[in-house]
Amino acid sequence: MKKRKWFINLLKEEKWLNDRLAEGYACRRVSSLGGYLFEPTDRKMVIRLDYQRQMSAEKYEEYKGTYADFGWTHLKGSRWGSVQYWQKPADGRDEIFSDAGSQIAFYQRLTHYALTTACLFFIYICVLFDGHIFTAMFDVKASYLTEGLWEMEGAMFWRAFLFETPFAMLRFLPAWIFGIAIVVSLYSYFLYVKRKKEYA
Amino acid sequence: MKHPLLPLSETMHYILLALKEPLHGYAIMQTVERMSEGTVILAAGTLYGAVENLSKHGWIAPVQGGDGTEEGIRDHDGRRTHPGHRAGKTGAFAGTL
Repeated sequence: MKKRKWFINLLKEEKWLNDRLAEGYACRRVSSLGGYLFEPTDRKMVIRLDYQRQMSAEKYEEYKGTYADFGWTHLKGSRWGSVQYWQKPADGRDEIFSDAGSQIAFYQRLTHYALTTACLFFIYICVLFDGHIFTAMFDVKASYLTEGLWEMEGAMFWRAFLFETPFAMLRFLPAWIFGIAIVVSLYSYFLYVKRKKEYA
Repeated sequence: MKHPLLPLSETMHYILLALKEPLHGYAIMQTVERMSEGTVILAAGTLYGAVENLSKHGWIAPVQGGDGTEEGIRDHDGRRTHPGHRAGKTGAFAGTL
């Protein structure tokens, strides 16, 4: 079974993946562009997502080795600051974090990750829209650059409109991704603060 | 100024106690589980983070296996102190305090 879905929020992605596994599947592959390959299985599986900042090749081996020792299979991830996908058959020891401290550190990394994403897209929008984020988000027409497009009529309009839409999307989608990334980073930060208060 | 690792968490405490002898990742978890009578069961991410943190501050250090093989855990003299476990891909660490 192949599924295609896009996530900016890693916690939502993890939940969605585990919902699929609960339907009797195991994840075979995760592609970079939001493609997930599942296969039916009799075993109950769990997936956990972690985020790690860039690390040396040596440390990355240590990281992967530790998880492998605990029975986790690495589905996807690189050592250049990326989300790490871990899967294993459920056996009651299905968490990757067992104390408050490490969970707090995880939410901290997550906040950092969402903020980095937001920053990258912010730079992109600054270049394209001079930093007019709300124009990029809500004035969709501003993303279409064909001159006289909105004065055209009939088939000619639709041809020009549809032709430019993929290019326009490259202009207004980043603004939305930026917006969502900001929300996700605030949400991760909220979880971080909340968990920290509970712990203290 | 207070040391960044203080106050020491329960996890760190047990890991340091377990590392009185050189152990690698999975064996640390088993030792801590035994020492805590089953109340502290370390998960992979927590253990990795704690070991990472402790070694960053020099409280523990990696120990080289005697003949460079990874299947067993050896002490400083290269004697085998632990039978080794599973794939055992991760290196062994020992306390330095």
